Amino acid sequence: MIAIEDWRIYEHPILKFDRGKEVTIYLDGKPLKAYKNETVAAALYANGIREFSKSIKYRRPRGFFCAIGRCSACMMEVDGVPNVRTCVTLVRDGMRIKRQRTIADWAAPFLGMMKLPPLRYMKLFTRPGFIYEPAMKIMRKFTGLGSYPEKVPEVAPSGGYQGELSTEFLIVGGGPAGMSAAVEAGQQGVDTLIIDDKEKLGGQLLKQTHMFFSDVKYAAGKRGFKLGEELVEKISKLDNVKVMTQTSAVGYYPSENTMLLKGPNDTTLKVKAKKYLISTGAYERSLVFENNDLPGVYGAGGVQTLLNVYGVKPGNRGILLGTGNVALIVSYHLLQAGIEVAGVFAPSFRRVRGYFVHAAKIKRHGVPIVTRHTIVKALGKNRVEGAIVTKLADYGKPIPGTERRVDCDFICVGVGLNPAYDLVQLFNPKMVYVGALGGMVPIRDRTYRFAENAYIAGDCASIEEATTAVLEGKLVGLYASQALGHGDETVPEKIEEYTRALEEDRGSPFSTRLREALRDITVEKIEEALK
Amino acid sequence: MSEEEMKPVQRGYYTREELEELGVFPPREELEKKRLCVIECVEEIPCNPCAAVCRSGAIIKEGLCKPPVVDWKACIGCTMCVAACPGMAIFMQWIEDGDGYVTMPYELLPEPKIGDRVQLLNRKGEAVGEGMIVNPTYQARGDAYPRWVVTVKMDDPDLSYEVRAFKILE
Repeated sequence: MIAIEDWRIYEHPILKFDRGKEVTIYLDGKPLKAYKNETVAAALYANGIREFSKSIKYRRPRGFFCAIGRCSACMMEVDGVPNVRTCVTLVRDGMRIKRQRTIADWAAPFLGMMKLPPLRYMKLFTRPGFIYEPAMKIMRKFTGLGSYPEKVPEVAPSGGYQGELSTEFLIVGGGPAGMSAAVEAGQQGVDTLIIDDKEKLGGQLLKQTHMFFSDVKYAAGKRGFKLGEELVEKISKLDNVKVMTQTSAVGYYPSENTMLLKGPNDTTLKVKAKKYLISTGAYERSLVFENNDLPGVYGAGGVQTLLNVYGVKPGNRGILLGTGNVALIVSYHLLQAGIEVAGVFAPSFRRVRGYFVHAAKIKRHGVPIVTRHTIVKALGKNRVEGAIVTKLADYGKPIPGTERRVDCDFICVGVGLNPAYDLVQLFNPKMVYVGALGGMVPIRDRTYRFAENAYIAGDCASIEEATTAVLEGKLVGLYASQALGHGDETVPEKIEEYTRALEEDRGSPFSTRLREALRDITVEKIEEALK
Repeated sequence: MSEEEMKPVQRGYYTREELEELGVFPPREELEKKRLCVIECVEEIPCNPCAAVCRSGAIIKEGLCKPPVVDWKACIGCTMCVAACPGMAIFMQWIEDGDGYVTMPYELLPEPKIGDRVQLLNRKGEAVGEGMIVNPTYQARGDAYPRWVVTVKMDDPDLSYEVRAFKILE
């Protein structure tokens, strides 16, 4: 008999989890307990399920990585529809979930031994054209991509947004930057639409249980999720700000100035807006080591989501990779949930990369901070059972013979973020790689414009704190209102205030490289830079 | 390289000697008179809730990114800053009748209660003795999700310079 596993957290020093009423979902026909406000991935994880999908080519087990709908490792068949991102899909009573199995699964242990050409499904059999379709059918069987349902799946009505829509200001991404922009623009009377692909606004603020730094005038001392709730409430009070959740922007067509949105239940919507704001945030970086795709190797942010949004324990004993603020904060969040942290490992040489106070608050609870170390391998067959770490010599070379085993049942990778620039690129901007800002970012002008009609703010403009994202969002909201001919006489005053606050926020030695990088990629007139 | 040879920002803690050099602790005779705040925030980071909540004007920040400076004469030991510090880097310390007292922010479970025996932890997370909770307060400051501010009593007054966390014993 299988013991019933429940990984949910019922007592937390900071949070109270509103899970909603109990429902039953079925995984491969087996009934499981879930709650209404949980996503499919969170509900499965709470029931002890660690393997969500298999890799396409070698059929290796995969767990989730990011838990915010970016990584595609948690895709499963839900109610007959294949390739559903289970981490952003809410459960429903009686929902039927299936792992996408294939006839190649039995051969999984042998697949690693050979190079398998037929499974490069994107490039093969495209010519001559007539063999593509039958070949595709066979290949989908092997790759586990699933097949389309034979009839249109039964769906709930999508809320009245269909066809075409026009608005003055379209904000893509409802995190701190997007929401702040919506509030400012809404207050100036701009007709605004804000969209987000999650079930509610808030972005990554919802999982921040620690208090923020920065100036008390702008959210310092508040816990992150509280700040998120406040912004959501402000938006809900503004009649001219429309909100669409569970809606992704999937394309932009410059010639028609139209953005294509995909809403819940496969509805599509064309939106023409005068100004756009791209505040899509960032992706978590991964790290290269053996078995880094094993279920149990998660993004630090993914663990935070699971832990603080859904109240599900990622495991009993974990290790963190990286010593940036994210890794240090996540270790503290794990301690708060009563989970043991076996160590924070990072190749940092001179110092922890995050703030000292974050390091001090986990160190005093006995969490080892092990610098000059890196992970070489995750152990375990179908889930993480340990990790091998090694010491590094100068210049980051592993010292042979210093490998040691650390027992843990999950590994959090917190080695930084990359701006999510996919949508930005569709506006034909001038992209540059800037390490200090996190990766590929567009050249922008002083008003945060990177194309004639589009603004950028938050982590997708430069990887920084949530508090700077809030200020950037506020500024963009004001600049956009001005450009759209709205805005009262207080706008220039506010712009000056927020600009000054932003400068002060970036005044610490931690931001020296960031300040220089921002100066380098900011131009006077974006139109001229784009010529 | 052993941990002692590393820089504080690499190993995650300062030793008592290093902090004394930085002038973090008030003079011993002041600590025997009243409860005073000890701020172990030495880096330049953009932050100011401590100075904003200080009612007596004892915490001075010259700029958003400058580390706070304490005026021990003005400090009234109200513990507002302990609750407000986002970095959990502010503590209260004093010595009374030969016993040491430390007030610390606390955001873990189980809930602290008067009379609970605790294991005292120093900045490295090592157990350095046992103590007792004498005054747990739940400080709200208008924040719906506040934190505990817990005062722990210990027999050795010297320990109050070391203890920065605790674990409630069953």
